[in-house]
Amino acid sequence: MKRRWFIPAAVLAAMALALGACGGDDGGGTEEGDGEVTIFSLWTGSEEEAFKKVLTQFTEETGIRTKYEAARDFLPVIRTRLNAGNPPEVGILPRPGFVDELARDEALIPLEDLGLDVDAINENYGDTWIDLATFEDTAYGVVAKANSKSTVWYKPNSFQQNGFEVPQTWDQLEQIVQSYKSKGEVPWAVGAQGRDSSWTLTDWFEQIYIRTAGGDNYDKLFSGELPFNDATVKEALEIMLQQVNNENVLNGVDGALSLSFQDAITRVFGTNPQAEMHMLGGFTGGIAIGANPDLKPGETIDFFPFPTIKEEHGDPLVGSGDVAAAFVNNEDVAELLEFLSTPEAGRTWVSTGAIVSPNKGVPDDAYPNDLVRKEADQVKNAESFRFDGSDLLPGTLGQDFGTLLQNIIKNPNNVDSLLDDYQAEAEQAFS
Amino acid sequence: MQGLLFIAPAVLFLGLLLIYPLVYTIVLSFADTNAKLEIVDWVGFENYTNLFTNDKEFLDLDSFPPTGAFVNNLKWVVLYTSLSLALGLLIAVLAARVRYEAFLKAIVFIPMAISATAVAIIWKFVYDPDPDIGSLNALITLFGGEAQAWYGREDLVNYALIWAYIWASTGFAMVVLSAALKGISEEVIEAARTDGASEWDIFRRIQLPLLSLPIAVVTVWLLINVIKVFDIIYVLTGGGPGGASEVIAFSMYDETFTNGEAGYGATVAVVMLLLIIPIMAFNIRRFRSERVTQ
Repeated sequence: MKRRWFIPAAVLAAMALALGACGGDDGGGTEEGDGEVTIFSLWTGSEEEAFKKVLTQFTEETGIRTKYEAARDFLPVIRTRLNAGNPPEVGILPRPGFVDELARDEALIPLEDLGLDVDAINENYGDTWIDLATFEDTAYGVVAKANSKSTVWYKPNSFQQNGFEVPQTWDQLEQIVQSYKSKGEVPWAVGAQGRDSSWTLTDWFEQIYIRTAGGDNYDKLFSGELPFNDATVKEALEIMLQQVNNENVLNGVDGALSLSFQDAITRVFGTNPQAEMHMLGGFTGGIAIGANPDLKPGETIDFFPFPTIKEEHGDPLVGSGDVAAAFVNNEDVAELLEFLSTPEAGRTWVSTGAIVSPNKGVPDDAYPNDLVRKEADQVKNAESFRFDGSDLLPGTLGQDFGTLLQNIIKNPNNVDSLLDDYQAEAEQAFS
Repeated sequence: MQGLLFIAPAVLFLGLLLIYPLVYTIVLSFADTNAKLEIVDWVGFENYTNLFTNDKEFLDLDSFPPTGAFVNNLKWVVLYTSLSLALGLLIAVLAARVRYEAFLKAIVFIPMAISATAVAIIWKFVYDPDPDIGSLNALITLFGGEAQAWYGREDLVNYALIWAYIWASTGFAMVVLSAALKGISEEVIEAARTDGASEWDIFRRIQLPLLSLPIAVVTVWLLINVIKVFDIIYVLTGGGPGGASEVIAFSMYDETFTNGEAGYGATVAVVMLLLIIPIMAFNIRRFRSERVTQ
């Protein structure tokens, strides 16, 4: 009986520790910084290292230290930290949809409130890019990096061996696919598994939709003005199912739904290739070469722009980008955002080969290899540009769009009812 | 006075970490939140009606058989609980009859020491659709069968997940039931044998009835485990393909954090609570009655 005193004592001690640790903090809000900026994004691996080079340059030039954190589940972490009053000072938002959502609930600091000259910053970018970081005519962030998604990756040596030419039109692409099949090769590897890779299907859909329905319909569709069970959507889906089906994809639809996008890339460009082509964005090159350093750009790996489908809609670029935005208002944060908008920061960043910069001031020779340079040219010279549609959708609608497409490739006969269900969800989300 | 002082820390702890979040969750389920998960509006029972009538991912009664996270959890409840228990019992009974009993039981128990996340990663490899990587498909193709996409097919994914979790949990059932089995006096069993009872009779009429309390304990543990199952699904399939493997706890996470609808997520949490309460009530009553009879 006498021994029991230490149990409540231990509990009291533990409680004291717990309560002490959960004391709140001031969370910024003052105008002067504390010499350090915390930055949060979902980049890890090579993307993280590339970004850190930029941050190092920032520290060298301004003396402000930086603290970088990353998390794969970006949005959940941001939400809980905002709720706790302890957000990171700067966040790299991977979707413009998030910019709108967070800005609407006043979680972001407008650039003007930070004391930045918005016009000077926006000089560096084209209009479409500026729009991404804007909500209700107020600029909330700086577009940090850009990607082209209108790229189809292939093996030039394989094309040469088979006498194929780079296709300009959808019909020409279809011919190449048929040729590969007749020779016993698998034309496509698709990686669309689970929650983490379902967006690859949305990329397929968006490239096809904008080339069959046009830019205006594209804008309307992803802003809730056009219903998802519209005839233009069904048309695009039919065309998509011409390629993403059991005959043309490695291990069929089931195989695609069990493969992550990284694994799908290695199925085409790895040391044990099982398929010939891969439809995915510009960052594919970096991932492929990272997995198989023996690849030679131009010989064993290259991309061609996504072919045209309907002539009148030409060759638009669908791409994506990340927006750096501020959660806390202080001078250090303002300096960092301003720095990220300069061509100098852009140069350092693109020299790592990890990104393409939408900054007009970044020259071609800053890019380290042909593949990235080609992508940068595609981005800069695009006839017209649209942001990745699913990234524009609010809340879980973007994620659910990927799920919808997973269901469609599995059950192509249920397209109508699947679209109706999704449209019902969309109507709620947009209201 | 001394008594109060002794329980005060525990009460404080429970109050802070259990009662307060419980009450707050229930309160939250009647509200709407913004992107920062702060309450902005009171909506009465709207979250509840939406959950059961408007949310196809959660419960879809339009198709036959019905689908949705709720239905998936029911599959888990039935299959996971019964099979984990049955296997655990079977192994406990059979292991007692062999010389290498300790070794066998150790092997079956080891998966209990692995976190659900690690279990998910292990089985992700085992289920890999490429026969060069996935051990299951390698085995199947070795015998001339066709490799399957175990977690890529809507009709297979739930069973694949349930089996992986059974593998990780049978050890618990086995250990508890094995210990209980050893508590049954050998004399009774010997007496039954001399009376001419077969092994099956002994199992059915002596061992099983005497195991009813441990079986109830294990069943309760398994049921609670399965109502809140989350990590193995999040890591192995992320709810896919196309949401086919979502469960209730997954909906709660998704709605709260990805969608920013903490009120709606709280509603799902309350539903989980309501599902667990009858089980806990049964458990408590069972233990009370056992104490009385002793």
